[in-house]
Amino acid sequence: MFRREMLFETKTDYANKTLEREIKLARNIQMELLNGSQPTLEKGQVTGYSLPARLIGGDYYDFHVLPNGKLRIIIGDVMGKGIPAAMLMILTRGAFRSAAESTQGPSETLTAMNKALYSDLRTLNSFVTVLCADWNPETNVLSYASAGHNLPLVVKSNQDIEEVPKVKGVMLGGLPQNTYKENFVQLLDEQLVFFYTDGITEAQNSDGDMFQTERLRKVLQQNYAEAVEDIENSVIESLDNFTENVQQKDDITMVLLKVHQGQTKVSSYNSPVLN
Amino acid sequence: MVLKFSINEMDSRGVVNLVGDLDIEATEMINDDLIPCLLEFQIIQLNFEHVPFVDSSGMGLLLNIVKRLKEQNIEVTISDVKEEVYEVFDLLQIPEIVGEETFV
Repeated sequence: MFRREMLFETKTDYANKTLEREIKLARNIQMELLNGSQPTLEKGQVTGYSLPARLIGGDYYDFHVLPNGKLRIIIGDVMGKGIPAAMLMILTRGAFRSAAESTQGPSETLTAMNKALYSDLRTLNSFVTVLCADWNPETNVLSYASAGHNLPLVVKSNQDIEEVPKVKGVMLGGLPQNTYKENFVQLLDEQLVFFYTDGITEAQNSDGDMFQTERLRKVLQQNYAEAVEDIENSVIESLDNFTENVQQKDDITMVLLKVHQGQTKVSSYNSPVLN
Repeated sequence: MVLKFSINEMDSRGVVNLVGDLDIEATEMINDDLIPCLLEFQIIQLNFEHVPFVDSSGMGLLLNIVKRLKEQNIEVTISDVKEEVYEVFDLLQIPEIVGEETFV
């Protein structure tokens, strides 16, 4: 009896250790993919950050430098949490990378992604919200389309911050053959665009109060003049102070793009060579 | 507030009273507890009067409830949605996905 119990415990311990190791490996893969190389912008700055609520998460952001010099940005939130959401996040990443190569703008990108993912998402009873934006460094125009994702904020000064003009769109996996509308905003020098997932505004403290958009707006305005990495750190610090390390329900993800004066050129880390 | 539910039965009709936030924390409760209870009815009304907040995962959960019920030919309606919650539904075009007639 004693020997059988020992054997059982050993098998259970082994299984738990294997599971723990595989989850850690999965987390490493996800963090490597999420926090891979970021494009360097001449006279402009871009950065991204994602913190899963659990060991691994379902939020996603990515950049893609287009052959025409535009920077394509995507940020998304897979329904659900933990390992299932992480698996779908990888699917979403593949769909974006594939669509980004062959589509003209954000609306086309979302249409192609929905077409690619719809069947799988319906099979798995899941959805993905994403926002896709193209920034043209020559004209400083930001065009964007949303698949059920919250719109980015544009910080114009330490006094002036607003959401970009509205555009509606069904979340990926919502309707087959869906097409997406596009809107745009003219950016000016030194303006900051803040893309985010609802894990930021819905972060809760021990009283159950949410961080909300107003606190986010305030911290962005207060730190508007800083470099994007410093603004990012200020948001993280503000969230930490607010939540007081209460375990969060949802992943937290943000992408910051700041335009600088003068001629801006994207230095690509993966842009294809054009003849 | 963590989501809870109660069901008022009237013959083949069930009125589901949801109380609390429909968010990521409600995933297991919706999929494992609520949906199986609803499959025995012919008509379901989801009462959102006491749902003050729905996040993106909650939207997905709602869509799954409607989809699962409609697959079983169960008539489903969503009622008494708070204005601020409906604004988010509208932004995500939920009425277009589930059918405008679902919202009463």
